[in-house]
Amino acid sequence: MKNFDVIVIGAGHAGCEAGLATARLGCSTLLLATNLDTVAFLACNPSIGGTAKGQIVKEIDALGGEMAVNADKSLLQMRMLNRGKGPAVYSPRAQVDKNAYHVNMKQTAENTPNLYLRQGEAVTVDVTSDGEFTVTTAVGLTYTAKAVILCCGVYLKSKTIVGECVRDSGPNGFANAQYLSDSLEKLGFTLRRFKTGTPARVRMKSIDLCKTVEQRGESDVTPFSYLTDSIPATKRSCYLTYSTQQTKDIILSNKKLAPIYNGSINGVGPRYCPSIEDKVVRFSDKERHQIFLEPESEDTCEFYVQGASSSMPASVQEQIYRSIEGLENVEIMRDAYAIEYDCIDATELDSTLCSKRIRGLFFAGQINGTSGYEEAGAQGIVAGINAERFVHGKPPIVFKRDNSYIGVLIDDITTKETVEPYRMMTSRAEHRLILRQDNADLRLTQLGREIGLVSDERYAKFLRKKQQIDNAEKQLCRVVSPKVYAPLFESKNEAVNNAGLTVDEMLRRTNITAKDIQSLGFFTDMDDDALEEIEIECKYRGYIEKEKEAIAQANKLESKSLPDDIDYLSIDGLRLEARQKLDKIRPQNLGQAGRILGVSPADVQILIVYLAQRKSKR
Amino acid sequence: MNKTIVALSTARGRSAIAVVRMSGDDAINIAKKFFEPFPKHANYLKVGTLHTEQFDEHAMCVYFAAPHSYTGENTVEFHCHGGTAVCQAVIEQCIANGAVPAQNGEFSKRAFINGKQNLTNAEGIIEMIDAETAAAVKAGANLLENKLGRKIVELQSVLLDMISACEAALDYPEEDLELPTVKTVQNGLGELTNKLDELISTATLGKIAKHGINVAIVGAPNVGKSSLLNALLGTDRAIVSDIQGTTRDTLTESVNYKDIRFNFVDTAGIRETRDVIELEGVRRAQKASDDADVVLHVVDNPSDRSVFPTTRPQIRIYNKSDLFDNPPCCADSITVSAKSGDVEIIKSALYEMFSAGEIENSDLLITNERHFSCLKTAREQLLAASQDCDTATLDIVTNSLKTAWDTLGQITGSTAQEDIIDRIYSKFCLGK
Repeated sequence: MKNFDVIVIGAGHAGCEAGLATARLGCSTLLLATNLDTVAFLACNPSIGGTAKGQIVKEIDALGGEMAVNADKSLLQMRMLNRGKGPAVYSPRAQVDKNAYHVNMKQTAENTPNLYLRQGEAVTVDVTSDGEFTVTTAVGLTYTAKAVILCCGVYLKSKTIVGECVRDSGPNGFANAQYLSDSLEKLGFTLRRFKTGTPARVRMKSIDLCKTVEQRGESDVTPFSYLTDSIPATKRSCYLTYSTQQTKDIILSNKKLAPIYNGSINGVGPRYCPSIEDKVVRFSDKERHQIFLEPESEDTCEFYVQGASSSMPASVQEQIYRSIEGLENVEIMRDAYAIEYDCIDATELDSTLCSKRIRGLFFAGQINGTSGYEEAGAQGIVAGINAERFVHGKPPIVFKRDNSYIGVLIDDITTKETVEPYRMMTSRAEHRLILRQDNADLRLTQLGREIGLVSDERYAKFLRKKQQIDNAEKQLCRVVSPKVYAPLFESKNEAVNNAGLTVDEMLRRTNITAKDIQSLGFFTDMDDDALEEIEIECKYRGYIEKEKEAIAQANKLESKSLPDDIDYLSIDGLRLEARQKLDKIRPQNLGQAGRILGVSPADVQILIVYLAQRKSKR
Repeated sequence: MNKTIVALSTARGRSAIAVVRMSGDDAINIAKKFFEPFPKHANYLKVGTLHTEQFDEHAMCVYFAAPHSYTGENTVEFHCHGGTAVCQAVIEQCIANGAVPAQNGEFSKRAFINGKQNLTNAEGIIEMIDAETAAAVKAGANLLENKLGRKIVELQSVLLDMISACEAALDYPEEDLELPTVKTVQNGLGELTNKLDELISTATLGKIAKHGINVAIVGAPNVGKSSLLNALLGTDRAIVSDIQGTTRDTLTESVNYKDIRFNFVDTAGIRETRDVIELEGVRRAQKASDDADVVLHVVDNPSDRSVFPTTRPQIRIYNKSDLFDNPPCCADSITVSAKSGDVEIIKSALYEMFSAGEIENSDLLITNERHFSCLKTAREQLLAASQDCDTATLDIVTNSLKTAWDTLGQITGSTAQEDIIDRIYSKFCLGK
């Protein structure tokens, strides 16, 4: 078969979500990978989720994506981060089995109708005059499609760096993609050079675990996927340890050998994911740094050394690792390395991740200058959904900042020119009190159903939860007499007075949970996730209401659309930088305009005045 | 190309001189057509002849080259003799040569659009235009220099430090970051709230600087209230007679004392009456006293100890001291003879009472209602955040801090809200 509706280039975390989405929505889809052993390969941490990322995984799931299901299937242990800091930032994080994750995802792809998994390195992408795309692989095969989604990850002309050893290679020694960059440049895309890195993998048996702190998973965490009923107990533990003064000394005395300091790395790396040499040099007053040892798989004794990525020469790496507490005799199995790669500037894309110039050409994942599996997966599903809609002539689906982290992510990368690999953080989401991990289904499953990715089973579960919440809300105004609630309140150190309390008033007490209310005979037949929901909604109602007002306020600017034909370069009063940025990015509304880096609030005011003048002239 | 706009920049009506201002790309070319000799250099005021259709006029002309002008555009000013006809002729001459009449507030709008001023600056200009006393001009000038803006940015930056510390803790739970303890945030908030309080407390003086002090003159009929007003104003403004009930309505007149303004309200004498008009006068007198910053309760009997029924602070004035045999019975009062005209002692007492002298020494006064309400809102939000430190989780605390930050940003315009801008533009008057 040579002709497809959609071709997805790259079968990493973005490519798998994109290909599964288009295929499930009825598009014949070719999923091309340079090497089929790299499907959904976890090239860095053997971990899914974390702050903001956990929320994204839940959102992908609510829409009918695969990442959460696959993580649950491949789980080693799970924790809820930020307990005690508030529901807005509760973040589930899982250690997953790297091998199982790959195998499970590959099987799912293989078993999905309309999806054709194929090994092959794409070397050119061309667009014909009638808008059709042709993709040629290194072995000379040519495929055609109505839409193409580029999910090339970090493989474009990538170089791995270990000290002075610089190789044309993808992650973990996999072959890179040597030719596609040139094809993209021919299509008019400006390529940038980003860098990231990964630590060494070490042999567990060579670690003195007594000197570390064991970290087991938690049993009371809900699974990532709304489809998964329960998660297994901890299969493998993580271990916490620290770098030492010796680590610092080794790094400082070998600084001239570090590629990031001696000039042999040109790519821009992320500030939030510094190598161990970077940490030591930039935060020199800090005595020690945390190091987490994470299990890679049940099938191996390899451990991932989180917090110690490096591009130092291999001989120095060994010294560095052996200076870490408990790792005095550690045996390195795979060296740490830095990787440099080509990526595009995502401000060339619209909010469906489609090129503004070449309609039907979509981009998702690290090729857009982001980092992280979850960020990639989110873009993959959005590009997949919209590629299908493009192929079938349906209106696009745009995710917004007030309905999802996915919306925040896409708005950020298509609006702000990121100068380093983009990582999602909860602080990027101004409405994070609304965008919680517990309510991703309530925010997005209805939309996913309308798109066509939400199965009957998922939809039924969603409706049941909604129904349970509705029923619970009706019980909130019921009044309970002190006789009934006094024993509970006393046991929970809550003050009892002689008046009756409504269910709502009881639930808003600090120490009273929805489960407690259930024990008084309310909220019967409710599942835990619905209970959690009603509890958060009650306890945080005041703040949530305020947040909704803030959203309404922000939407005033979001709803002021900026016509396509504005000549920004000729607007008097805009500073030169703002004119150029607005002309380049061409925001869709005033809200987006205000978020462009280099466009100040004063510039937005000028745009408001300009729009008013333009309106009055017509 | 930008249209060139023209308008009279000084007040309309009769005056010794008037300034007509033109701004736009073409302003200099237009002016050269009818003013000679046109100044050779920017920023120098030159005498010359201004040719109009009807007459030639001796006038002065100065031009400012873009972007070094108020609007950021080429600007020309003609300083000519005052008077409606002259000004009208000059403006018409400009229009005949290609300028268009300026819309309300258009000069300032252009200045704003050309990045010559931010929101607070723009508001400062409005305050300067509205100013009627030296103190008000000073308060407006401080705004214009953006002292307030700098102060707010300073406060915001302290807040931003706290916010970013909290955010780091939220986004990096696994890192052993130096967690901002709730206690340090709370202490910081205490300091910030104090600084806001200091700013907010200047609003009382700010109001005095901007609007002056409202003083109601009340008392029984025929104690000499209107005479006192005349004496205070130094003119025969109010009708004075021996007949009780001469003043039937309130009468407001202002006078500048040192650098501030007193707004005196003369009222009808309070007595039992059936006269409908006089009754209304009495009602208005009562209202005037309620609205005043201070009430002058005038009596003419040195043994009178009565107190005027008002919630406002009051000073008893023993008038007609020329007729007293004995000095008045109460010490905390002022004794004058309005008839003699020497009533400065009242003005100086009022000036003292409101510490108006401090205006001159104060670095920054809040005179703008919008700023005042933003500061108060921000203060409430900071208090809420401080309370959240005790009762809520870090996600909520961080949100509350951000809200306060945004509110402060509304003062300097570092958050864009259309309605603010609308309101500012509706307040601009023609010319500036």
